[in-house]
Formats: sequence, structure tokens, C-alpha cells
Amino acid sequence: MTQSTVILVLVIVTALGFDFTNGFHDTANAMATSIATGALRPKVAVALSGALNLVGAFLSVEVALTVTNAVVKLQNSNGTPKASLTADGGEALLLIILAGLVGGIIWNLLTWLLGLPSSSSHALFGGLIGATVAGLGWAGVNWNGNGTKLDGVVGKVILPAVLSPVIAGIVAGVGTWLIYRAVVGVAQKYTDNGFRWGQIGSASLVSLAHGTNDAQKTMGVITLALIASGHWTSTSSIPFWVKVCCALAIAMGTYLGGWRIIRTLGKGLVEIAPPQGMAAESASAAVILASSHLGFALSTTHVATGSILGSGVGKPGAQVRWRVAGRMVSAWLITLPAAALVGALMWYLGDLISGVAGAIVIFLLLLGAAGYMYLRSRKEPVSHENVNDEWDEVTTPSERVPAGSAN
Amino acid sequence: MGHNLQFTFEAAWKVLLAGLVLGAGLPLLFALGVRSLAWGAGGDAETHAAGSAGPKAQPIGTVIGWLLFAVVLAGIALGITFIVASGLGKQLSFEHVFPTIVNKH
Repeated sequence: MTQSTVILVLVIVTALGFDFTNGFHDTANAMATSIATGALRPKVAVALSGALNLVGAFLSVEVALTVTNAVVKLQNSNGTPKASLTADGGEALLLIILAGLVGGIIWNLLTWLLGLPSSSSHALFGGLIGATVAGLGWAGVNWNGNGTKLDGVVGKVILPAVLSPVIAGIVAGVGTWLIYRAVVGVAQKYTDNGFRWGQIGSASLVSLAHGTNDAQKTMGVITLALIASGHWTSTSSIPFWVKVCCALAIAMGTYLGGWRIIRTLGKGLVEIAPPQGMAAESASAAVILASSHLGFALSTTHVATGSILGSGVGKPGAQVRWRVAGRMVSAWLITLPAAALVGALMWYLGDLISGVAGAIVIFLLLLGAAGYMYLRSRKEPVSHENVNDEWDEVTTPSERVPAGSAN
Repeated sequence: MGHNLQFTFEAAWKVLLAGLVLGAGLPLLFALGVRSLAWGAGGDAETHAAGSAGPKAQPIGTVIGWLLFAVVLAGIALGITFIVASGLGKQLSFEHVFPTIVNKH
């Protein structure tokens, strides 16, 4: 095995790891409301969502090779990596991708630990941007596109992130309001039953759309690494094993279920009743599908959160916990810079040590951070058993002793 | 930055419009379907004064209810077709009002 092959293997493993975190980070987007209203038992919900993500990932045969082009200038417009980066078996490019992926995973795990639904695409893009700035300088980043279409960090990441939750919120709010108007005079038990079915249908659609959108990104990144190291040449197709691995990784991640995030989205923001759940998921599905049709890149997470908030605003008398919403929005704001910072640090470290040793050190750091955060999560576990417990705003840990009373 | 803002708002209002029609319109039809079914079932499906037997069953309500559900199902089928089609490098065209699958241009 040559040096670059070792790094390539690390990149592939890390990319699949990212895909896996992408899966469990986003289970909540589709299934939090169905779990919260009891439309589906928690285990059934994640199994359904996982299966649909798997199917969705296989449906996305469209080549996603240019996925990184929207934010960083690592590739030519036909998808091949820039020649300057592929010398030495592509080590320069592989290190940027590896550092970027590590940044994305670490941020995904941290927000999961805190139970915050942040965007996995922002984490991935952030990590890649950071690693690119570190490796190639500020000019390596595609900030604003070339003016002919929606492109660049501003057009593909920042503006959609600001607008999509608002759009989804409006749609869900209007939907909820209309639904409650339409069923005045019908017994609640009767409506709840009907809307649970509607909810399952719309949540399934969100899961399927998620599989097609998100698995593609990892497929594109892995294929880019394969081309850079000379193991693949076609820019119009993706190796079949890459597709299988990515589909399985995202589906298994989804099935594992990010229970901490499911709990925040399903119970923390709004007390969701079945009619609201259906309105929220329908709004999410419609906005996600319409956007991908119009080339408006958005994050499933932002849309799902906006929809759930909207369903709280649209129901007369419903309580919305704006404090929880505020915490989420701040997590969104720092996701991209934070992942970028980690990505950049990882690149500097890898570059300093250089070669295979550098890549291995970054990889071990990732494993260490992941292991630490997993152990932390065991202190206050959230699982399919307690995911629907009453939301208690004052969950300040008991060991926080007031100043002065410590002895 | 200016051109991106312009492109974003051009896309955003279309997303909002499509979202309202499909994401709020279809749920409304579903809700009306639930209401029709309740009307069709009568009795305890509808709120009524305690102690009374509740409104009489109206079979036509059941028919209307299922018709509405059929429309909603067609909407969902359209959604799935859209996902599959774009995954296979095709896209849905609404050029002839009826959705048709065409090659992506």
C-alpha cells in the first residue's frame, strides 16, 4: 500500500462515519412529530425512516460529484479535481477532505450531545470550507458564485438557511390553522386517529427525500477522493460499492435514532397534537421537494424546525417554547464557523506532521473526541424509552451549587 | 452578493407558493376528508350534547371523505414520482398542466 492509499482509506472510513452521523442527526426531522404524538412507536418510527432513507439513497443515481463546488474550489467544473492538488497521489486534496470531514463529524456529535438539531450539510460544508481556507487560503473558497446562478457560500448556504425555516414556518402555520378550522365540531378522538395516518404518510415522504438528498453528498465526496488518488476516472458515474456503503451508513445511522434530538424537536419546542404533526410534516415535505426542484439548496433540519414552530404558532392557544427555539437558532448560526474552525485546525495539524502520520493523528483525534462525547452522553442517556417524557424546562444539573454555599 | 439575493428571492417566493398549495392545501383536503367521514359516521364521531345520541349518520359524507383522501393520495404519488424521477436524471414537467416525466435539460 502506498502512502496515499492509506490516507484514502482513512478518508473513506471518515466519510462513511460522517454519513452515519448525518443519519442519526436527522432522524428527528422526519420522525420527531410522529413519535411525540404516538402515531408510531419510537422503534417502529426509526425503522421506517431508516428503510426509506436506504431506498432514497439508491434512488439518487444522479451524479453528485460537484457537490463541493458550491462552496470550495477544489474541482474543475467537470468534476475532476484541480491538477495542482493531485500531485503526490492526491495527498494534498485528501488531507483537505479528511480534515473537513473530521470538522463536520465533531460538530455533529457535539450538537447531538446537547440535543440540538443543527444542519448536517452546514457541518460538512463548514468543515470543508475551514480545511480549504487553511490549505489553499481564502481564495480557495467560492464565497459568492460568478453571478450567473444561485451559487457560493452566500447563495447555496447562508441565504437559504435564513429563508427556508421562515417559509416552512409560514406553510405549517397556515396549514395548522386551516386544519383546526376544518375539523371544528368533530370529536377529538376521531380527528386524532385520522391525522395519525396522515402524519405517517407525510413523515415517510420526508424520510425518502432525505435519503436522496443527503446520502448523495457523501457519495460525491468519496468519489472525489477516489479520483484524486487515481482509483477512479469517470466523472459521470459513481462506483456501485460507494453507493451501497453510503446508503447503508445513512440508513443505519437513521435506525440508531438520535434520541436526544428527537426529544428536543418532538417535545421541547411545542406540545404537538396529531393535526399539528401532520401539518408540520406536510409543510416540510412540500418545501423540501419544491426547493430541490428549483435548485434552492436547503437543510432538512432548518425546514423541519421551522415547520414545527409554525405548527405551534398556527394552533390557537398552543404554547411555543421560544427559549428552546432561540438555543437552536444560535446553534445554527455557529454550526458553519465552528465546523470550519475544527476543519482548519485539523488541516494545520495534519500538515504539520505531514504525510500518512498526519492523517492518522487527525483520525485518532476524531476517534478520541467521538469516544469522549459518547461517554458523556451515557451520563444522561436519552433512548426510545424516555424520549417522550414530559419536557421539564428546569433541567439544570443538580451538581450546580450556588456560589458561596460550597464548603 | 446582490445577484445571489435576487436569485434567492426569485426562488423563495416560488417555494413558498408551492409549499402553500401542496404543504397546506393537501392537509386541508385531508382535514375536510376527516370531517366528511365524521359526518358520514355520525354519533360519537361528532361533538354533541352529552346524553343525546349524536347526529344521524350521513352515508354521502363517507363517500365525499374517501374522494378527498383519493385526491390527497394522488398528491403524495406525485411527490414520490418527483423524487424518483429527479433521482433518475429526469424531471417532472407541468408544461402541459398534467405532470409528465421529461429528461432534465
